[in-house]
Amino acid sequence: MLEIINCQVEAKTWHITLPDIHVGKGELQMITGPSGIGKSTLLHWLLGNIPQHVAISGQIMLSGTDITHLAIEQRRVGLLMQDVYLFPHLNVQDNICFALPKSSQLFLTKQQRLSNSQPRLSKKQRRLEALNMLEQINLAHLATRYPQNLSGGERSRVGLIRALANQPQVMLLDEPFAALDPSTRELMGSWAFQQLAEQNIPSVMVSHDIEDIPVSAKQLCLADHYYQKTR
Amino acid sequence: MAAAIRRIGLASGWLLVSLISVLPIIGVLVGLWPPEHITFADIESFLGYQGLSTSVFMTLFSAIFSTLLSLYIAFMVYSQYHLSRRLQSLEKYLAPLLSLPHLAIALGLVFLFSDGSVFFVDSGLPRKGLSTLILAIVIKEVPFFLLIFSAIGRQLPIKYWLLQGNALGYQDYRCWWLLVFPALLKQSRLALLAATAYTLSVVDVSLLVGPNIPELFAVSVYRWQTSFANGDQALAFLANALLLILLALSVCILYAHEKLAYAACQSLATQGSRFYIGIINPVFKAWLPMLGILTAMMVVVFALWSFGFNLHRVSFNSFNNFNSFNSFDGFTATQLSTRLWQDEWLFFALPLQNSLLIGLLAGMFGVALALLALELQRQKGKYWPDYYWLLAIILPQLSMVLGWQILHIWLQGGYHSGWVIVSHLPFTFAYAYLVLKGPFQSVEPRYELLATSFGYSSWQSWWQVRFRLLLPAIFTAFAIAFSVSIAQYIPTLMMGAGRVTTITTEAVAIASGSQQDLIALYVLLQSILPFMAFFLAAILARRFRGSMGRQRYEKE
Repeated sequence: MLEIINCQVEAKTWHITLPDIHVGKGELQMITGPSGIGKSTLLHWLLGNIPQHVAISGQIMLSGTDITHLAIEQRRVGLLMQDVYLFPHLNVQDNICFALPKSSQLFLTKQQRLSNSQPRLSKKQRRLEALNMLEQINLAHLATRYPQNLSGGERSRVGLIRALANQPQVMLLDEPFAALDPSTRELMGSWAFQQLAEQNIPSVMVSHDIEDIPVSAKQLCLADHYYQKTR
Repeated sequence: MAAAIRRIGLASGWLLVSLISVLPIIGVLVGLWPPEHITFADIESFLGYQGLSTSVFMTLFSAIFSTLLSLYIAFMVYSQYHLSRRLQSLEKYLAPLLSLPHLAIALGLVFLFSDGSVFFVDSGLPRKGLSTLILAIVIKEVPFFLLIFSAIGRQLPIKYWLLQGNALGYQDYRCWWLLVFPALLKQSRLALLAATAYTLSVVDVSLLVGPNIPELFAVSVYRWQTSFANGDQALAFLANALLLILLALSVCILYAHEKLAYAACQSLATQGSRFYIGIINPVFKAWLPMLGILTAMMVVVFALWSFGFNLHRVSFNSFNNFNSFNSFDGFTATQLSTRLWQDEWLFFALPLQNSLLIGLLAGMFGVALALLALELQRQKGKYWPDYYWLLAIILPQLSMVLGWQILHIWLQGGYHSGWVIVSHLPFTFAYAYLVLKGPFQSVEPRYELLATSFGYSSWQSWWQVRFRLLLPAIFTAFAIAFSVSIAQYIPTLMMGAGRVTTITTEAVAIASGSQQDLIALYVLLQSILPFMAFFLAAILARRFRGSMGRQRYEKE
């Protein structure tokens, strides 16, 4: 479960005071608002990428642990953006391999790691695992293709599978379907939300397009909590 | 009528830029023409030349090793600046570092750190040796690679790759190696080849700080090329052919290195290891400031020596020379004086004037031709591969200049600055093209379209919009082209047949001697000229930087 507590975004001329947010397993929290209001900034703060032009305060709790001051790589947060940035020098299968944890003990503490004797996955096993993930979504035929040779929809799907391969505790989606054509966008949207719900991953998505919002999602409009500072 | 004039203009433009860009290959081909009947005995005598294999191996090793070392150091430095979000300060540091010629760096190292240097500290760096040469090349090439990385980095979504890598649990350090390095490596092929080709065929630096016995291969090639002793021309021809084979071999080695590095990064990426190694060595963060200090020290030492300041080691012995306890070393400093400058003024005035004239014209024509080549390609809607335009910097200079010299003799051209300018043009053109291509392609074409809609002709809108937007890059390109021209040794010497003297040719001639203060004076002059060009370019670029540039920085 993801909790955002006492969050406040301060800029020179305005500030946003958010109500506390609780996103349960498999739930989707939508953050909407007009362009430039700070939706993506908020998402990047959740990711751990501290914005420079505004000050954000608050607490981020993930499954009861305070992750507010953790580095990005230690948060176990999945990220899907408009451009999914598949790494161009790796084929689809290797892009997923890159995201797979070293072993199931990857994110344990040092002590736990030392005491745990679970063997690491070999390179072959990792490739097989990546292929299995692709097979589950009927994209195994793309395994050896490079990102440059994928369509927009295929790239988005592979991007989501790559993010899921890392077994994230929360998924952040920054207008992930904005670059897709309307029909692909609808299909991709429903498929992605289904995947996230099936894997019980709490998700936060920002969008300025109300057509992106699934019926089941909780909504928060930043404009409702936006205040202009008085001089 | 207007259409016909336009067609003729376009055809002439293409002819001109094509001629400049193929001059290097013409030079190489003509240079490969056997000067006399080559017999098997000549080949035997060449292969049996004493120290040939060692010389060839040292040359190949120094070229590959210094290039790859520079590449890896530059990558580490670039990653540090990127991560600390100080990319703008990186570019600020690069200009003065790029302006110092190879020769000045090499001699600066010797002046500062060799036995008998200004510090009297024997750092183990030989006055002439492979290590000194490699160090000088690395010091000079790291800023060059940084410039290339900076240009490539602007076109790659490095920030987002790092963000994705971080989100997937990888530390910044690993993201740089596993995600950014393969992309930078692939796009730095030309730069790698240029740096290797330079070291393979550089004569002036090899002659002054390279090893003596055996000498580096480029020095032998040059010696045979300029000798008319019996059999030397045959040796020169064979050596020239071997130099090209060495270049081909270097291409293979660099390609193998790229494949290996790529495979290693891919393999590590798929293994998914996410080790935590803490903070990367801060040496790389300090590299550029340290290099800046070193460069400044070199210039200061050259200046002091040229003004007669020197520390002399003297031994003060007590009356008993056999008793070492009573003997100690001390230093005396001579007073500063302008005597050397006054005495030498008459001798360096003409080379200085020649350097300025040749540098200005070769630089200006180089930039103008690079702009012409880019504009012609833009109008055609297709950009030719960079290899074609940059032949001058990816082929061994010695081989091509030999061919030009032969052509020059066939054409019975006189020995004057005009031919020297022509021989510098392919190099100034290539560097200007390298610098201008990115900014040229990134100018939004709709600006010109908009200007045309206001009633301006296509030429007027090009001049008032595109050219104006490109001005900062044009100034930088000119400064680089000017420095390239100033540092040219072999083309100036061979095309001018020793009759057109420049500061560089004089500096090399004097540096072969042992008069340190005179060497310092000429090397200082050789360093000041490009530095002034970069300084002026920086001021003018700031003055003419459009609001577009500022917006970009603000956004970043």
